[in-house]
Amino acid sequence: MYVIQNGTLYTMDGQGVLQADLRMENGKITQIGTNLSTEGATVIDAAGKCVTPGFVDPHSHAGGLEASGEQDLNEMTNPLTPELDAYYAINPDSKDFRLLIRQGITTSCLAPGSANVVGGWVFACKSAGKDRVVKRPVALKAAMGINPKGCYAGKNQAPMTRMAIANILRGYLRKVKEYMDKKEAAGNDPEKLPPFDMGLEHGIPVLKQEIPLKVHSYMHDMMTVLEIAREFDIRITLDHALGASDYYEELCDPHVQGVIFGPTCEPLFGGEGGKLDPWCCKGLDDRGVPVAVMTDSPVTVVNMLTYEMGEAVRWGMDPIRALAMVTCGSAKILNIDSRVGSLTVGKDADLLIWDKLPSLHTDAILEQVFIDGESVYQKED
Amino acid sequence: MLIQNGRIHDGLGSVTTADLRLSQGLIQEIGQSLTPADGEEVFNAAGMEILPGFVQAISNWGVNGGIQEIRPSSNDNDEKSSPITPELDGFYAFNGRAATAQQLGAFGLTACGVAPTDNNLFGGTIAAFTIEGLNPYRMCLKRDIGMMSSVHPNLKKTYGTRPAAPQTRMWIFANFADQLRKAADYKKEDDKPADEKLIALKRVTEGELPLFISCDSLVAIQRVQEILSDFPKVKPVLVNGYGLTGREAWILENRIPVIVRTPTSPMDTEALELDLGAVARLMQAGVPVALSGSCGNSLNAREDLLWNSAEMMKVLHDSEAVLKMVTSIPAAILGIDQLTGSLRPGLRADLVIWNGNPMQTYQAHIVRTYLGGQVIYQEGDEMKCM
Repeated sequence: MYVIQNGTLYTMDGQGVLQADLRMENGKITQIGTNLSTEGATVIDAAGKCVTPGFVDPHSHAGGLEASGEQDLNEMTNPLTPELDAYYAINPDSKDFRLLIRQGITTSCLAPGSANVVGGWVFACKSAGKDRVVKRPVALKAAMGINPKGCYAGKNQAPMTRMAIANILRGYLRKVKEYMDKKEAAGNDPEKLPPFDMGLEHGIPVLKQEIPLKVHSYMHDMMTVLEIAREFDIRITLDHALGASDYYEELCDPHVQGVIFGPTCEPLFGGEGGKLDPWCCKGLDDRGVPVAVMTDSPVTVVNMLTYEMGEAVRWGMDPIRALAMVTCGSAKILNIDSRVGSLTVGKDADLLIWDKLPSLHTDAILEQVFIDGESVYQKED
Repeated sequence: MLIQNGRIHDGLGSVTTADLRLSQGLIQEIGQSLTPADGEEVFNAAGMEILPGFVQAISNWGVNGGIQEIRPSSNDNDEKSSPITPELDGFYAFNGRAATAQQLGAFGLTACGVAPTDNNLFGGTIAAFTIEGLNPYRMCLKRDIGMMSSVHPNLKKTYGTRPAAPQTRMWIFANFADQLRKAADYKKEDDKPADEKLIALKRVTEGELPLFISCDSLVAIQRVQEILSDFPKVKPVLVNGYGLTGREAWILENRIPVIVRTPTSPMDTEALELDLGAVARLMQAGVPVALSGSCGNSLNAREDLLWNSAEMMKVLHDSEAVLKMVTSIPAAILGIDQLTGSLRPGLRADLVIWNGNPMQTYQAHIVRTYLGGQVIYQEGDEMKCM
C-alpha cells in the first residue's frame, strides 16, 4: 500500500491536473485528494514531481521479435491467418519488457506482424505483475501495402499487388459475414451450424464492432481500408498512418476508432514511406479524430513514445494533449480505458513519477514506475 | 541581412543577446545595436534563440542504394567486395539531390559527414557536405577528412558468412596491425607498380589523415590502443565505443575525439549499451564527444540529433554543452570548424532561428534556417514528400 504525497497529478481524466495525494492498495487507485491518511502505507514524497498514468503503447511486438531475426509474430506461409493469436508468440519474461518499463510503458498492445493481410488476434499486456493480460483480444490485425506484397511477391503468390490485398481482405470479411449469419440462423440447432472455423470465428467480434480491425496502413492504403470499413460497417484503427495529414476530412469518420501514428525513426522513402508527417497528430486531434502514437517495439528505438509526443508538441500540440496520446487516448482506442490510461479511483494503479513533464522537457527523467500498485522500477541515484 | 535581438548560442558554450549581420553567405559581424545599412533586410529575432545549424559527424544523408535506387543495389558507401579498401573516397557516395529531398533544414541540420560503412577494416576516406543543393562539388565542405576503419563485428557479419575472412576478431586485429605496419614501412620502388592501398594508409601512419575507428566495445578500444602505441603519429577518432566508462586514461590524457550515438535507430540494440553517464564524464573532462545518429550503416530520422541531444540533456543538464556535441565538436572532428558549426564572424552563415531552445524544450520549433546565408526553410513552408 502506498500514498504518493503532494505530487502534480496529470490525471488524464475529467479531473485535469491536481496538486494532491494518491493512495493505492490491492493493485488499484483507491483515493485521490488532499491530506490523505497515510496509515499503514508506504509514503512517497512527490513534491515538485509529475505523476502521470503509466503509458499505454497501442502498437507493439515486444517479447515476440528479436533483433537477431528470431521471431514468433510473422507466420509468413499464408497471407490469411486470422486464426492465429499473438498471445502464443509473446515471451512474457523477455527482457523487452524491462526496457519498456524504463520508458514508462506499463501496458502494450501486442500484435502479430504485418506480413499477412490478416494476421491474427491482438492482445493488451502489462509489462510486469501477476496478471499480465489486460484484454484478449483487443483487435484483429490486418496489413496493407508493401509488407504483405514484399512477403509474398517473391514466392509468386498473391498478394503481389494492392489490388489483391484489397480483394483478400474483402473476401475474408465477406466469409466471416456469411459464417456469422449462418450461425445466427442456426440458433441452437447443432444440425444447422456451419463447421467450426477458427479463422472466421476470430472475425466475428470485428463484424459485431466489439473489437476493431487493426490495420497496418500508410498513405492511400488508409483510404482503401476506410472504404472496406464502411462497406462492412466495422471499426478500424489505422496503424502507422504516415501521410494521415492528407486525409483529415475523410478520417473524421465514425468507423475510425483511432489513428495510431508512427514510429517516425526513419527518413523519407519513396512509395508508402514518401510522407512523414508528425504534425498530423495535432491536425487529427484538433478535428476530434482519436490519435495515439506507438513504439512498434522492438522494431524501433528506446524512448520512441517520448520523442513522438515531443515532436507532436514541436508541431504545435499542447503537451497535455500529447500526453493523452500515450495514456487515456491510446487506452480508449484499445477499449481498455476502464482499467488503464488515467489516474482515476478504481482503475489499475499503473503510474509514473517524473521530475518534469516528459512531453515538454527534453531532460525529464522517469524516477519510479508502479504497475498494479507495485513499484517495478526506481531510478538509481 | 541583419538579424536583431536574438539570443545567440555560439555552439562553443556562450550565449549573448546581440545582432548578427550576414553578408555574402558568411557571418560578417556579431555585436550590440548594429545599425542597418541602407536597404539592408532586417529580421527581428527578439525572444528567439539562434543556434548554429547541426552537424551530423557521420551520416547516411545523400547515400543512395537499396530501396532508394531504381534497381536493388548496395549503398554507395558500402563497398563489400573486399574488407580492405582504403583507396576509396567517400565523396563519391554522396548524391546531393538525395540529401536535399529530405528537407533536413526543416529539422535544424545544415552539414553532414559521409563515411564508408564500418563493414570494412579500412573503408576509405570521409567527406563532409551541406545538406541542400544539387552538385556535390558545390555542396562539399571538405574531402579527405579522415580514413574510416573498423574493428567492429560488422566485418564478421559482412564477410564471415560467405565464407570469407574475417570470421574472427583474430583476423581483424592482426590485419589492422599488419596493414598499418606495411603502410608505415612502405616506400615506392621504381621497378614496381604503386600500391594504392598502402599509399592511402601511409597518410594515416604519417598523421596526415586522422584514423576514424569503429569499435563495438571497451575491449576493442583497448586492443586498438595497444596496436596504435606502435604508430605514434596516428591521430585516432573513436566511433561508437559502447562500454566506455569515461575513465579511460588513454582517451582522457590524449583528448581523443569520440563519436557516439544514443539508441535512436531501429533495432539498434548495440547503442543500448552506451553509458550516457560515461559520455557525460568524458565531456566534463574536456574530451570532444560528438553525437551522431548512425555510423554510416543505418538510416535515421531527420530529428535524430534532436533526440540524441534530449538523451544527453538527461545526464549532462547543460544545454550549451549538449549543443556543442551536435555543432562545434562534430565540425572540429571533421575539420570543418573554420567553415561551420559555430556562430563567429567569418564562418558560413549556417544557422537556425528557433522560437525556443530545442536542447531544453520540445516546444521549440524552427522559425528560419539559413544555409550559406540563404533561407532554405521557414516556418509554414510546405513539407516535402517523395
